[in-house]
Amino acid sequence: MKKIFAIFLLITSTSFAVISAELKFVCYQDINECDTIAELAKSWESSTGHTLNIETVGYEVIREQLENQLESGAAPDLARVTNLGGLNKFYLDLKPYVDSSYWETNYGATLPWYRKPSGDDGIYGWQTQLTVTGPYVNVTMFEDAGVDMPEEGATWDDWADALREVKSELGLTAGLALDRTAHRWAGPAFSYGAKFHENGVPILVDEGFRKFSEVFVGWHEEGLMPAEGWPAGAGTSYKNAAPLFLDGTVAMHMSGSWMLGNYDTNITDFEWKVVPIPCGPGGCGAMPGGSGIVAFNSTANPEAAASFINFMAQTENAEKFAASTSNITAHQGLQKSGIDYAGVSPNVAQGLAIFAANAGKAADTTPQAYWFQGYNKNFAIYGIVPDYITKAITGEMSLEEALAAIDADVAAKIAE
Amino acid sequence: MPENFLNLNYWYFITFIYLFVGFLLSRGVIGSVTRVMSIIGWPIELAQRLSGTKSLPYLFLFPNILIFGLFTFLPLFMNFGFSVTDGESINFSSRDYSGSDNLSRIILEKQIDTGLENMEDDKFKAAIADTFVFVLFQVPIMIVIALITAIILNREIIGRAFWRAVYFYPVMLSPVVVAFLWTLILKRQGLLSQMLMGWNWIDEPIQWLTDPSWTMFWSVLIYTWANLGFYMLILLAGLQSIPRDLYEAAEMDGTSDQRVFWRITLPLLMPILLVVTVLSLIKAFQAFEELFALQVGWISLVSYIFETAGLRGQKTTFGLGIAAMASLLVASLLILLSLLQFYLTRRQVKL
Repeated sequence: MKKIFAIFLLITSTSFAVISAELKFVCYQDINECDTIAELAKSWESSTGHTLNIETVGYEVIREQLENQLESGAAPDLARVTNLGGLNKFYLDLKPYVDSSYWETNYGATLPWYRKPSGDDGIYGWQTQLTVTGPYVNVTMFEDAGVDMPEEGATWDDWADALREVKSELGLTAGLALDRTAHRWAGPAFSYGAKFHENGVPILVDEGFRKFSEVFVGWHEEGLMPAEGWPAGAGTSYKNAAPLFLDGTVAMHMSGSWMLGNYDTNITDFEWKVVPIPCGPGGCGAMPGGSGIVAFNSTANPEAAASFINFMAQTENAEKFAASTSNITAHQGLQKSGIDYAGVSPNVAQGLAIFAANAGKAADTTPQAYWFQGYNKNFAIYGIVPDYITKAITGEMSLEEALAAIDADVAAKIAE
Repeated sequence: MPENFLNLNYWYFITFIYLFVGFLLSRGVIGSVTRVMSIIGWPIELAQRLSGTKSLPYLFLFPNILIFGLFTFLPLFMNFGFSVTDGESINFSSRDYSGSDNLSRIILEKQIDTGLENMEDDKFKAAIADTFVFVLFQVPIMIVIALITAIILNREIIGRAFWRAVYFYPVMLSPVVVAFLWTLILKRQGLLSQMLMGWNWIDEPIQWLTDPSWTMFWSVLIYTWANLGFYMLILLAGLQSIPRDLYEAAEMDGTSDQRVFWRITLPLLMPILLVVTVLSLIKAFQAFEELFALQVGWISLVSYIFETAGLRGQKTTFGLGIAAMASLLVASLLILLSLLQFYLTRRQVKL
């Protein structure tokens, strides 16, 4: 018996409770963001003794599975998310662990996007990048067609005319493509005068929205926009129009700054560039946005998680991250002083400058863009608009019915 | 100490304890082989002694019932729960009871929360209508082709085994692979459009999958292609179970082939044909994976439920409840179909 007891003790000797924490970080990347974070995190790991386990997943995993994981208690400690307002009930408040004044000074414009709608002043996440929507054009096509590109401050109508010419000269399938989501639609809609909200209450279909809907449906009817874009999706499904730009189906792609790295790497057979956001009677509308790294309040290691996010938010790390990933930084101090995007191609550097300028123009002329980005139910609206506009394009509904349906559906989806 | 489960030493220890207890309990057993079996199987013998041999089968069934129950019945009850509660969370502690509100949201003309026009009922009815059209065309076409194929492949033809494999092969492909293959053919730069343009039949490529006039046709065709082999195999088995002497007797009487088919083959095949019909009906109502991966231009019932439940990543306040209620309505329809199958197959065919 004694022998057995001794063997028992020997075999079951386990390691005792560890002092250093092990954090699980679920990350997605457009090009190399997670790899860059892994690199930067090494110095944090060596200075604090904690370990960061980065799990790089596809964007759909974050978009579709993370919320379920959070609700069922199987969440990671940290994640890189884009639905900033929608998940705010799960965030860990970092205020007790970080220097609030530093955060307010340098990230004050983006902190509200994470907060709950009313009376919340917590600090919840580090904005990894500021993305801005805006168009990319195929310069080679414009040159081949002999058409001049409209200057800065041109309207969407000017661009539509130019694209029509390019399309007919070169015999293209279409001229312009938009990703199938209201997030890209919003920029032009703001330019046409759409307000999207009144004192924080969403009102979708106003004069500007209606005007742009008519124009948009018209562009599809005349063939300026391709049938594989918005009409090809059913319901609220998201479709990325990048493949249409990459294979030469369209001459202009309304997308955003997150595609810069991707296009820089993957476009090898034509010249491309970013152009300033077209304007309109309502201003020069573009949607700001971006993803952030947040910690969840279900984490077992709140201090370690907060310490990591604070580390990434420090000026030198934010600068290194922005430079390595060719992203616009959300750090307001760095926005003023500028970032040295060393080793970046001229296209990307020029693109970053133009996108940053787009964000500034949007802040001045269409501030509702910033409200829409921060609205915590915007993800539902992103899907509803394409759903009914597509039906108007294919003729399943008249435009009037589609607009009424958008109002009714949005009201139903955001009702509490 | 959950980390211990991954530690091999832990399992050595558990095995040792297990065998040691067996050793102690089997002290009265004579014969070395019997003793070893007792040491290994002492839990079963203990259970036998405690509960008697009659209840032993239930003990063996227990693990299966546990797993089956966990993955079949538990989600069923959870679905019931979702359909009578409100809230965005999948966690029941954060959901409020709401009775038949979700049913109202999916059926009524007026949205009950906002007073405006209800869009959900239009979407749901459109999904039902489109799926109904899909089923109405897909099932008869597939059954007829499967029957004809089975009859041909029942005869003595050259390479019969090869052809049977060819027809069954698509069934083994995953729905996403099927969709991917057909997208290569049907997309704008795909084989079909390029071929037709090469023959000068059409001037511009047709968007086969999203063009409203073609999308249903291709959905039916691709779904039939992917599932035909399975039902053909069942019908083939049915054909082979018809007694040979009936055909010999018909031949001796000089019966025409047509009459043999309508008077002997079809009536005797009827039970299996009915089973196949109802099975494929139920499956066609639930068609989702191929259609979702193909990104067709219409929304099927399961696609509607999938999207409304927020599984595409766009969660809404009432979405999960509405989707759960929709799935209950569809389930009741399928239950009716199954009951129909039970009723029809109880009628015996008189020879």
